[in-house]
Amino acid sequence: MQTENELKNQTRRHFFGECGMGVGSMALASLMAGSSTAAATEQQSGAMAAKAPPFPARAKRVIFLFMAGGPSQLDMFDYKPMLNKLSGEPMPQSFLEGKRFAFMNSSHRTNLLGTRRQFRQHGDCGAWVSDVLPHTASIVDKLTFIKTCKTDLFNHAPAKLFMNTGSGQFGRPSLGSWLTYGLGSESTDLPGFVVLQSGPRGPRGGSVLWSSGMLPTTYQGVPLRNKGEPILNLTTPSLVTTEQQEDVFRAVRELNAQRLALTGDGEIATRINAYEMAYRMQTSAPELMDTAGETKETLDLYGIKDPGESSFARNCLLARRLAERGVRFVQLYHTNWDHHGGPTENLEEHLPSVSRDIDQPCMALIRDLEQRGLLEDTIVIWGGEFGRTPMGEVRESTGRNHHIDAFTMWFAGGGFKPGVSFGETDEFGFGPVDQAVPVRDIHATLLHQLGISHERLTVRTQGLDFRLTGVLPARVVNEVLS
Amino acid sequence: MWRSDLMLCPPPQVAAVAALIFLTCGPTVCAEEILYNRDVRPILSENCFACHGFDHATREAGLRLDTPEGAAAKLESGMVAIKPGSPEESELIRRILSSDHGEMMPPEGTGKRLTKEQIRILSSWIEQGAEYEKHWAFLKPVKADLPASPPNRTDIQQSVESVETSIDLFIQTLLSEKNLQPSPEADRITLLRRVSLDLTGLPPSISEVEEFLTDSESNAEAAYEKVVDRLLRSPAHGERWGRWWLDQARYADSNGYSVDAPRQIWKYRDWVVNALNRDMPFDQFTIEQLAGDLLPEPTDDQRIATGFHRNTQINQEGGIDPEQFRIDSVFDRVATTGTVWLGLTIGCAQCHDHKFDPILQKEYYQLFAFFNNQDEPTLTVYDSGIDASALTKEKKSLEQIMDEQVTASSESLAMWESGLTDDQRRGLSKDVVKILETDKSKRNAVQSRNLFAAGPGGSDEAFQKSFTRAQQIERVLSGGVTTLVMKEMASPRKSTVFTQGDFTRPADEVSCGTPSALPPLQASAGSVNRLDLARWIVSPENPLTARVIVNRVWQQYFGRGIVETDNDFGLQGSMPTHPELLDWLAVDFMEKGWSLKQLHRQIVMSGTYRQSSRARADLAEKDPDNYLLARQRRLRLDAEIVRDVSLSASGLLSGKMGGPPVYPPIPQGVMSLGQANREWKVSAGEDRYRRGFYTFVYRATPPPSMSVFDAPDGYSTCTRRVRSNTPLQALALMNDTAFVEFAEALAKIIQQDGLETAFRRCTSRLPSLEEVAVLKTLDSLSAARVLLNLDETVTRE
Repeated sequence: MQTENELKNQTRRHFFGECGMGVGSMALASLMAGSSTAAATEQQSGAMAAKAPPFPARAKRVIFLFMAGGPSQLDMFDYKPMLNKLSGEPMPQSFLEGKRFAFMNSSHRTNLLGTRRQFRQHGDCGAWVSDVLPHTASIVDKLTFIKTCKTDLFNHAPAKLFMNTGSGQFGRPSLGSWLTYGLGSESTDLPGFVVLQSGPRGPRGGSVLWSSGMLPTTYQGVPLRNKGEPILNLTTPSLVTTEQQEDVFRAVRELNAQRLALTGDGEIATRINAYEMAYRMQTSAPELMDTAGETKETLDLYGIKDPGESSFARNCLLARRLAERGVRFVQLYHTNWDHHGGPTENLEEHLPSVSRDIDQPCMALIRDLEQRGLLEDTIVIWGGEFGRTPMGEVRESTGRNHHIDAFTMWFAGGGFKPGVSFGETDEFGFGPVDQAVPVRDIHATLLHQLGISHERLTVRTQGLDFRLTGVLPARVVNEVLS
Repeated sequence: MWRSDLMLCPPPQVAAVAALIFLTCGPTVCAEEILYNRDVRPILSENCFACHGFDHATREAGLRLDTPEGAAAKLESGMVAIKPGSPEESELIRRILSSDHGEMMPPEGTGKRLTKEQIRILSSWIEQGAEYEKHWAFLKPVKADLPASPPNRTDIQQSVESVETSIDLFIQTLLSEKNLQPSPEADRITLLRRVSLDLTGLPPSISEVEEFLTDSESNAEAAYEKVVDRLLRSPAHGERWGRWWLDQARYADSNGYSVDAPRQIWKYRDWVVNALNRDMPFDQFTIEQLAGDLLPEPTDDQRIATGFHRNTQINQEGGIDPEQFRIDSVFDRVATTGTVWLGLTIGCAQCHDHKFDPILQKEYYQLFAFFNNQDEPTLTVYDSGIDASALTKEKKSLEQIMDEQVTASSESLAMWESGLTDDQRRGLSKDVVKILETDKSKRNAVQSRNLFAAGPGGSDEAFQKSFTRAQQIERVLSGGVTTLVMKEMASPRKSTVFTQGDFTRPADEVSCGTPSALPPLQASAGSVNRLDLARWIVSPENPLTARVIVNRVWQQYFGRGIVETDNDFGLQGSMPTHPELLDWLAVDFMEKGWSLKQLHRQIVMSGTYRQSSRARADLAEKDPDNYLLARQRRLRLDAEIVRDVSLSASGLLSGKMGGPPVYPPIPQGVMSLGQANREWKVSAGEDRYRRGFYTFVYRATPPPSMSVFDAPDGYSTCTRRVRSNTPLQALALMNDTAFVEFAEALAKIIQQDGLETAFRRCTSRLPSLEEVAVLKTLDSLSAARVLLNLDETVTRE
């Protein structure tokens, strides 16, 4: 557990080395003067200070559109005419041997299920997209598809954990934590790792999905809330005036500075800075959430009718605003993609409906980032914790089971090669015929684009150097990079 | 963090060891003796053992460097890796110096590279004969003779001579070797607040401060001793140190994973508090938790104690294979047992032989076998003095008598029923009306009894007596509390090695056993079980347990253990900074009957503990990270105690102990972050103001003001909390409605008793004139909020 010390040493060095002991009052110079970015950047200290990546970077930040529940690639992107042709036939036994499935004991049948969606090729690249995603279809030339993504775990919570942390075990840092740990944050007014949620319920697994694991909690994801104050405890208490709040911040700073001078403990300097950031967040976070300044064209692009209403579309717009403000990692969760069949989760009704929730906003986010010049150094990722089986699952209505061997994710911006599809699945979309892309390769590729070698970004715990990609060799998927 | 940085700036424990070596003796000046454990093994373990170590499956070129035989064996090339006495003829040295891409070691692509200093150490070690030592932590600790008082004492030291304990002799010996002086004792108030927070998690009251100051005037030492004894007797001690243990037990109040339904296991939490308050010897504490159910005629308490290993998560997600998650919980039990008691990363051997420590994968599954034979039942417990089985029996016989009477009186019952007027009906209870509306033939025995009691039975004295008594018993029995426990199965499950740790790939069958690198397990008779394992863990022959526990207690008092990697005493762990002290404490702990309170007392009575925590210019240069303990360290309070201190300062704190967890106010919307939107009904009355220790914790949606201050999430064992320092903490203390409520109460205190009193309630000390000047400009609520937000308020100095 040397990390804690390593990290704190940076802070201490900063204060005792560069600033000297009487830093307390100086560090807060910008507190009441409003946030001048230059001054604030200069004073952004310690663990969250922006750090230059060790290798050339193609991207500075990531927006991960997490489709919680496991979207059905076979009804959206991975078009399999053979599956339609043999729909209702049993899956050839050769495919099934040695495989385990979720819900093994339930009465689902293992016969093939053809898609009911209409597929068409789109764009110059000719990517296949089904009729549930007309807007996404219009931007395929900007996207990079990987159709042979592969994960290890097939129950929701462990698989989500796996996609986020590279491990099914609890206690590992999530992708966003690794990035802020490695690169710090470019925002001095907002957290470096922000989580947004939409859909009928929270993602299975909860806060552990944006946990900093064995890294300090400084790096954990901060959920932006849909209702009420955007960040927990952001708002000045109702019985306190703005002036009183400022007085309290000022007095806390002064007394903490006196204590720092007396004790010489660098932790007090860090706390003084934390209060400064908290103070700035009280202004910057509401500003972030206030979309009144967005044009009607922009709102229409995203399909936002009521900007005050929480939705995936609004979260996409906020993601763009967070990217503009230098936030390193933004993660959007949208539920629910768990289409097993049944009255509330079938492929006939609910897949089109949840697709409608996300389709236009995804398109809008890509176009909006592009027209603002942000797409080139922002990576956008779309995908869930796993995909779904070619075999149907018939409860009261049709659905598909969880499937981990081959599913589709798409990427855009940040040096990904647009209009490309990588990885080919077999005639039923059951497994890869060429190269599988395990989660660790996805992680390695993302880190690479941000200028980080996945082998070098490590944290030491219990005598081991842990890394996001784990112990098995991981590969940067150069084929999808420009 | 970046590998390259790590090389430039070695991890602290390496730096510390290097500092210890070279502070008195420059690297080039004198040929110091190189010791395998201290100097060489960390280098080999970090850079070589992954491919040339214990795990035969990944061993490259047939070479192992972790044993002298392996290192001196002839290689395929005809060379030997290490030729004692001759670095020039040692292939190891040639390869680490090589820059040839095919030959260099560690190989290109590992990102590892030895520093010049490390190469020099290896080279000198080989020159001096390349002597290996057994890993220190696997050797039985021995109590060394106490060092003599260092001769070069200064005035400061003279003044604390009277508190020179055994601990201080060890600490000061090293300090004096480095020409460093310890710090003076902290001022009285700082010391009192420190020891109060450390022993009970609560700050001293103003009257306790005053009493201590008065007592100190006549005899400072006696006054301190009196305080320590009072605090160790305080029931709050069990809560404060109970939390320390519950972190390790990964305790929380829900099942975890995605569904995260609430569970009831607080009886186990209360058991821990009681055991610590009674100073249950740690060996017994261990045995009851790991195997209380296997003790002869176990008491309820001993069964409750086995809740330790029921704190694993339970996956209630649809479509799972329950066997997979049962096995996951057994994996967790093995890893947790290894980490908590042995300080070993046993869990690493789940998929392969351990890379660094002598634990075979097969031995991992022999440990697994101990934990694979349990049912996981729920136990219902009643208050002491309640004999549940006798009461159940009595109730049955009462019911039989009543039923006979009801049957015999069916006519009078029918007459009463048909004769009821509307007015009379309205006078009956809802339940009775419901029975009346039920068809006679469909009424069950309970309904008939209740109806009879409301009707003709009401005037029958004998019936009434039975009826009342049965109801009373019912109430008592329903007052039982359930808790999760362990129960050994009658016939054990078959245990096997799982290839790659994958439960779908069973391999060789294994039976219960312990790693051969540690002393053998003494089996009582026949087959061995968890009880034997528990006894083996706390056997005086076991070299690890006592060291690991005293180190982890030490860590709480100084912010760092004598072994910094408190959860890894293996080959990759750091070396103890004060090995003789660690061993002395460990042996002394066992000799004194594994008494934790004795250990606490020993530490807090030491001069080392009582030093000031102020930064010192000389130390900033010579020992910036305070490995040598020439001063104390300011430590931010644990999450629960941040709450407790605010509650205590504002006069709201409830002293109520034990019982079901409570629901203090939390911000709206917190519970909707997980898959299921769980209800959080805010507790009424004093339960709103209980210690943070009693707050209900859902693993998936923990109380934000706890997690923001680094309270562990209960997903896996936590032996050492991180102490972060973030803007979200600032927002919580500034704006969280709970803290605003505390501030309002404190504002009233300011209005009634003045600023000074409020200041003392937060920091225990009097404010300076400058501090008063700042606070005086504020209204009382603002001043109260400032006080609760001070770094000093949430820190133990």
